Amino acid sequence: MNKAEEISSKQKQIAVSEFFEKNKHFLGFDSLQRSIITAVKESVDNSLDACEEARILPNIHVELNKQKGDKIEFITQDNGPGIPRNAIEDVFGKFLLGSRFHAIRQTRGQQGIGITGVVMYSQLTTGSKTHIISKIKSESSAVFVELGLDTRKNKAIKTGEKRELWIDERTGEEINQGLRIRTIMKGKYQKGKQSVHQYLRMTSIVNPHASISLIVRDKEGDIIDQGNWPRTTERLPRVVSEIKPHPHGIHLGTLQRMLRESNERRMTSFLRHNFSGVSMRAAREILVNAKLDEGREPKRIKADDAQEMLNAFQKVKLLSPPMDCLSPIDDLLIKKGLSKAIDSRFASTVTRNPSVSQGNPFQIEVGLVFGGDLGSEGPIEVLRFANRVPLMYQQGGCLLTKALESVDWKRYGLDHPGGRGVPKGPAALLIHLASTNVQFTSEAKEAVADNEEVHEEIRKALLEVGRGLKNHLKKSSQRKKAKEKFELVNIILPEIAKKSSEILSRPEPDLAPVITQIMNAVFCEEILGWEKDRKVATCSIKIYNYTARARAYTILVKWPENKNTALVDNNRGGRKEAKGIWAWRLDTLNPGTCTTVDFGVSGLAKGEWVDTDIFFRGNGEIIGATRIDETLLDEIRKSEALVLAEEEILKESENLEPLIERAEENVHHQMTSSILESKEGQLSLSDWEVE
Amino acid sequence: MTIGETKSKQEVIDALHGVAAEMHDKMLKGKPPAMTLPVRTKKNIQFDKKLQVYKYGKNKSTRDATALSSARVLLRSLHITEFIEEMINSGKSSTLREMYYISEGWGNGKFGNQNESNNLAEDLEIVTKCIREDFKLRPEEDGARIIGNVTFEEKNRKGEWMRINCRDDVGDSGYGVPYNVESEKLRLVEQDIDFVMAVETGGMFDRLVENGFDEEARCAIIHLKGQPARSTRRIMKRMSDEWKKPILVFADCDPWSFRIFASIAYGAIKTAHISEYLATNEAIYLGITADDILAYDLPSDDLTKSDLGALESELSDPRFATGWWKEQINLMQEIGKKAEQQSLAKYGLDFVTDTYLPEKLGALGLNY
Repeated sequence: MNKAEEISSKQKQIAVSEFFEKNKHFLGFDSLQRSIITAVKESVDNSLDACEEARILPNIHVELNKQKGDKIEFITQDNGPGIPRNAIEDVFGKFLLGSRFHAIRQTRGQQGIGITGVVMYSQLTTGSKTHIISKIKSESSAVFVELGLDTRKNKAIKTGEKRELWIDERTGEEINQGLRIRTIMKGKYQKGKQSVHQYLRMTSIVNPHASISLIVRDKEGDIIDQGNWPRTTERLPRVVSEIKPHPHGIHLGTLQRMLRESNERRMTSFLRHNFSGVSMRAAREILVNAKLDEGREPKRIKADDAQEMLNAFQKVKLLSPPMDCLSPIDDLLIKKGLSKAIDSRFASTVTRNPSVSQGNPFQIEVGLVFGGDLGSEGPIEVLRFANRVPLMYQQGGCLLTKALESVDWKRYGLDHPGGRGVPKGPAALLIHLASTNVQFTSEAKEAVADNEEVHEEIRKALLEVGRGLKNHLKKSSQRKKAKEKFELVNIILPEIAKKSSEILSRPEPDLAPVITQIMNAVFCEEILGWEKDRKVATCSIKIYNYTARARAYTILVKWPENKNTALVDNNRGGRKEAKGIWAWRLDTLNPGTCTTVDFGVSGLAKGEWVDTDIFFRGNGEIIGATRIDETLLDEIRKSEALVLAEEEILKESENLEPLIERAEENVHHQMTSSILESKEGQLSLSDWEVE
Repeated sequence: MTIGETKSKQEVIDALHGVAAEMHDKMLKGKPPAMTLPVRTKKNIQFDKKLQVYKYGKNKSTRDATALSSARVLLRSLHITEFIEEMINSGKSSTLREMYYISEGWGNGKFGNQNESNNLAEDLEIVTKCIREDFKLRPEEDGARIIGNVTFEEKNRKGEWMRINCRDDVGDSGYGVPYNVESEKLRLVEQDIDFVMAVETGGMFDRLVENGFDEEARCAIIHLKGQPARSTRRIMKRMSDEWKKPILVFADCDPWSFRIFASIAYGAIKTAHISEYLATNEAIYLGITADDILAYDLPSDDLTKSDLGALESELSDPRFATGWWKEQINLMQEIGKKAEQQSLAKYGLDFVTDTYLPEKLGALGLNY
């Protein structure tokens, strides 16, 4: 079975086409302006999901051509895996619940009504059929077909089907794989905050691996709007795995059904095999807590005991669910995505560690850009995303916005009148919630519902980027001041000396003591660079002593230390103070002299290291550097040691776990003669009800 | 050396060198170069009893090279010094605007805008006790126009003295006052008048001229053109000093016109360093007063926010700290009205010359 077939085979059907006709407002087809955005969204989301599953770097093209009346010709094309001939009717002609509806992992759409809505909406508003071209790589020709719908029978009506070579209109070359959808629907194209353009722009930010383009033409065929967002990375989002539910997110009904349907013989096995985050130790503890015997058969657990189990779930310390079901965008890619769409001076991104709310893993990512072309009047631009899907409506009622508003932005250098609402200033803020279960406020899926844990995580991430911004602003004002001083003593002062001497026909005065008097400080200036040929990020730190006394310092620098990176070209040596902090003891710096610390970091990508912090140890201040906080340094060292210790323990327990398991199973074999292995771990997640 | 005295070229150059020397000396001592100036704000002007005008007080500010912006100003002063020295030596002069453009070639000493160069020229006047005529710097602003039976001698471009009677030798626009009205350029020769009438607006100047008021009332009429230029104030001062004729100021009744009068009679804040040379302490404010608005029932406008602000700030201005001015300002605040000179036309074109001015002048004992 090839990839395309595999995906489509997972689809399940629901007879709701009639329901759509009556409830199209639910599905985003309630206004002419909104309908066109929804249609683009459904199509582009499908393309991105299909490409991601097939591990293809997506190229997506959207074309909207205005026609007479309110009609718009709608075209989307991708380079995805295509749809097999026999699945086309199902994909486009029925309301489908995709595989993702039954699995616990992060995906873009969580309801599979998607593209069928486009077919149906077109038919209802203009009577137009939807023209599909689908090409699967393994087949020699593409399928061309026109689709209409029988809304009462929930069935597609296929006409004009043929097989042909698919030739690209623009290049004249044969297209090897992909999908093209063309139809005519009623709609209204508008620019602005809620527009197709904005939707695609936002999509491109959180899908830096996708190349997306848009062309909009008026009735005369003139281009009235367009966009082109090329990919900034070749790295596809990582494959997300499906996970078992976590005890913290389970409801009584679900637990009871799981118990009923279980073929496990022992409660410990039931817990360990059906839930994530439950170790042998935890399973036993839960059962002790719930006053249940380990050996009881799950099928025979009654409601009261199930309730006891639920209570026990909350009392016992459980491992977090595995996080590989989440697909965060990643710091650097957010930075790239943002800088592709927004021209700015400063970008700070934070990807928080995954966290859990009611058994659902989630992860928060935040990106802040500041300065550059961004307008300083009015509120900052808020870019909200849930599972890589832009949220464009109901900004005010969304948890992401509320968390943003709860931060006191004044402290971080943004204008925040009254400490309420969205702050003002030349900034844009991206908030991405990745979760296996995004709770929305309504069916329309436009605003994320309140959740304390998620709120808190967003806040923490925002505070972190906020600190980055504050630091940046402080640094740039310091840098500006230092630059002015340098200009003063290096350019203007010598000119004053020269000119006044000329006018008076006197010899020029010695400026060294004057400079010391004017500056009266030690300055530090760092320049980060990139050596293209060797792929080395460089850092050059200059320290000037403009005081009347000799100074001695230790300079400490923060650098991105991890298992892939290394310090290179470090001629001064120095020593490691803590993870990511290197220190150099400098020779005595005499008044009026300057020294330089140069080093490089290998193993980084370009643009990955653009900002650093310089610290110092020694007497007197250094403008441009911060006195090292020794207690903080100690803390860093301690937490570092802790991480190492944890890792070791983890390794040990990994070795231990199979032993325990084997021992346990041996006992089982001795105690019962029934066969366990055939049933173990076989409970399919697709049998579960969707919450 | 005092302001207003004619100085030799060398004296001016020496004074300017003093500015450069202050900076150079500081640097020799290992200190940042600096320039010391009086504070040039309303808070730092006080009445000089001896001179009978307002002068800068004792508050000094030091502009030193510890900040980039001040250092730039110091560098610019040196460039100006060099430029003026060149002009003095080559017998040239330039306008302030020309100097601003010439500064384009001064690299780091170039001006950001013309206001900067104008202010710095004034700073140098203050520090050196010279006037800009000494520096060979000219303003672009227009001098006044004069009509009346007075005779001047002006040195023309050929270096010849030219005799001009401001009634017989000029057209309707009158005699144009040159930017330099010092004795080396302009002589006050003869007059047959009883007083000098300084008029704020061009419309009123033309009305008085058309009605033949200069001959009828035996006066010289000067058009101030709003806030009077330095040369306008200087020529009034000379007419007052040399001919001992009263200077009467006829202006609109609004806070800004009061300031025009204050700059004529007491000196302007910006030029307080040369007040004794520009201000005519004997000048009298003839009208229009707040009283006149009521007495003549003149068409008036409501005071705007900025008018009210200006009045308020005049109450704290030492130049208006007399009983009469306080009364006028308070009355104006009370009625909340202002009136233009030309509102007198309510009663016909000749009302101003037939009724208003004779009545006002009569009150001062100037009957005709």
